[in-house]
Amino acid sequence: MAANPTFDREKSSKAIVVRSFLAVLAIAATWFLMSAKMPDANIPGRTKVVFWHRWGGEWEVVVKRIVSRFNESQTEFEVVPMFTTGTGSETKFMLSTIGGDPPDVMSMWNGAIPSIASGGLLTDLETLMSPEEKEYFNRVPYQAIRESGQFKDVTYGITIGADLMGYYVNAKHLREIGADPDKPPKTFEELVELGTKLNIKDSSGNIKRMGFNVSDLMTQAYAWGPGFYDKESKTLTMNNPSNLAALTALVEQKKGVGFDQAQRFWASQNTGSSTGAWPFIPGAVSIAYDGQWRVEEIRKYNPGMDYRVWPLIPPKDGKPYAGSLGGNFMIIPTSAKQKKGAFEFVKFWSGLTHPERAAEFYCWGGWLPLSPDVAKSPKYQEYLRTNPQFKTFVDTLGGNNCHPYPNVGFLQYYLDQVNRAEDQASRGSITPKQALINLDQTVKHELRKRKELGFED
Amino acid sequence: MKHKFRENLVGYLFISPWLIGFLVFTLYPFCRSFYLSLTRYNIIQEPHFIGLANYKMMLFEDELFWKSLWVTIRYALVSVPIVLVVGVLLALLLNINVKGIAVFRTIFYLPSIVPMVATTSIFMWILNPQVGLVNRVLALFHIDGPGWLTDPKWTLWSLVFMAIWGAGGSMVIYLAGLKDIPQYLYEAATLDGAGVIKKTRMITLPMLTPVIFFNLVMGVIGTFQYFTQAFMISKGSGGPEDSTLFYALYMFQRSWKYMDMGYGSAMAWALFVIIVILTSIIFQSQKRWVHYGG
Repeated sequence: MAANPTFDREKSSKAIVVRSFLAVLAIAATWFLMSAKMPDANIPGRTKVVFWHRWGGEWEVVVKRIVSRFNESQTEFEVVPMFTTGTGSETKFMLSTIGGDPPDVMSMWNGAIPSIASGGLLTDLETLMSPEEKEYFNRVPYQAIRESGQFKDVTYGITIGADLMGYYVNAKHLREIGADPDKPPKTFEELVELGTKLNIKDSSGNIKRMGFNVSDLMTQAYAWGPGFYDKESKTLTMNNPSNLAALTALVEQKKGVGFDQAQRFWASQNTGSSTGAWPFIPGAVSIAYDGQWRVEEIRKYNPGMDYRVWPLIPPKDGKPYAGSLGGNFMIIPTSAKQKKGAFEFVKFWSGLTHPERAAEFYCWGGWLPLSPDVAKSPKYQEYLRTNPQFKTFVDTLGGNNCHPYPNVGFLQYYLDQVNRAEDQASRGSITPKQALINLDQTVKHELRKRKELGFED
Repeated sequence: MKHKFRENLVGYLFISPWLIGFLVFTLYPFCRSFYLSLTRYNIIQEPHFIGLANYKMMLFEDELFWKSLWVTIRYALVSVPIVLVVGVLLALLLNINVKGIAVFRTIFYLPSIVPMVATTSIFMWILNPQVGLVNRVLALFHIDGPGWLTDPKWTLWSLVFMAIWGAGGSMVIYLAGLKDIPQYLYEAATLDGAGVIKKTRMITLPMLTPVIFFNLVMGVIGTFQYFTQAFMISKGSGGPEDSTLFYALYMFQRSWKYMDMGYGSAMAWALFVIIVILTSIIFQSQKRWVHYGG
């Protein structure tokens, strides 16, 4: 049979089209996969350690300085930092781990550790420690910090920058009303009274200057009693007399200010700002409830500001220097490719080894130290001398009433429900008593449901 | 036959990006989500089959499921008709031939192409109770404006207000519908002595019903998937007092915040069923009020 040249030409041109198409597809797929890979190491001969962190803006500069210090100290590893936004960072971490391309180390909000750890995604950091390091870790660091990185008594996170809350007090405002900023009120009731005197309202009743207004039942409750979690029995404690007293005090304080007026005032303020716009700095708030990182911001944006930091003020016969510890903790995924390098970096930054060296990093960021060894180091002491107000947070950290978050796998749900109860009671929709009853029922119901479904909480 | 297959193969190869996309990113997740709705799944561990437990809990034991559904239905009942009416009125106004009409059309259409996140951010300041534009204007008339986004009594109306601002999107479709109405119908009506109102009632609106029907269906589907604005103004909490806890937001919380993807999938399937039922009802009703053909 003779060959048909037209048909052959058609056939070959179709084959060219198909092959070209497949080639384009392959190039596109390769480009896509290549562009999605992790950042490269820059120093030849070094093993790359990918580090994800959640510090953007001016904080990222500090992170890069610490990373540079580590890389300079190394001959084997190079840490490559990568910023990932804080929102949904735990989800990003989990998806990258499940997808098989996780970072080697990540700084994570400690509240997310239980839920990630319960899924078996995190390395028990004590398995990476030498016997001496293990002994040191279980003896020296602050108890609250150590426990904040644990879930079911296993260490999954080590702090590089823990957070605590306190009251920032504008000394000038206090003197204007005849109060002494160096003599904090003895009870929460006195604090509320002082705050009322500091409020300034316009002719329409709108708050022009907020004296004192506080939320955060979860943390405040530790100043009244055992709070929302009993560490010994490992149970949630919601509807108890001390929590009720704490919630009632918070609600009454808000009533005194005027809930609606307070809402309006806060809506007009840039409360989340990490710049000089934080309302305490321009004097829009006289006594502000905020974290220790603000000390560094005041130093930067209003260095001459006359202010004090008071610890949480308890009620009569309450617990002084109470706190609930949050912040950034280093975690290493079980599937990390460079666990050794990652843990070297964790030790370097946290001060698990060479606390004097790590003290400098904590000073750069204005962070709470891992251990009294870091706190006692000359550099940290110098930092406290230059920023005397920071000492309040270190004292809180070293006290007996500083607690980690409740050690439960569904922590985020629990925190949301406690906030919800506080919000409902503050708005007057239900009484504080009813809010805690509802909270107790809702959370127990959820817990029972999760148990039935087999979640490991 | 073989030759035909080869010819078809080239065609299929050319549409294969879409086909692969559909199979991988639409059909597979669609089927997979149904399976996941029958499992306990926290993303980290393998899904564990639990039968209908998620559906049972959702329907009989989850107060927030019903609350979020009610918030969404309430918003749909208020916002869909209002946006529909505003869209039609705007289209009627912008259908008048006056000088510079193209500029007006552009101005009214512009809000609908602004990203939703930007629109919501702007509205959060416009509706700010203390320094917002709306309350400042009300203050000129000695009216103490409410906490639009902080008072649960007002949040629904604030969101409706935001929806109206974006009515320009549907307005363009109505405008296209208006241009499609044959001119001779108006000429005949004019000869019969009909005025503007009568012509609008007897010609314009009936002829526009297919477009209204389309916007109604899309509006209902859109409100049941309402998420961005609620997420932004409540910072993802659904507050104040659950007044912005829309169905999609609660589904997101369950899936991604509390890592209960099985339950989230069950909620997604319930949403799918609800949308199918509502759309079917609207489709059934069209026989009574939608007029096709001119």
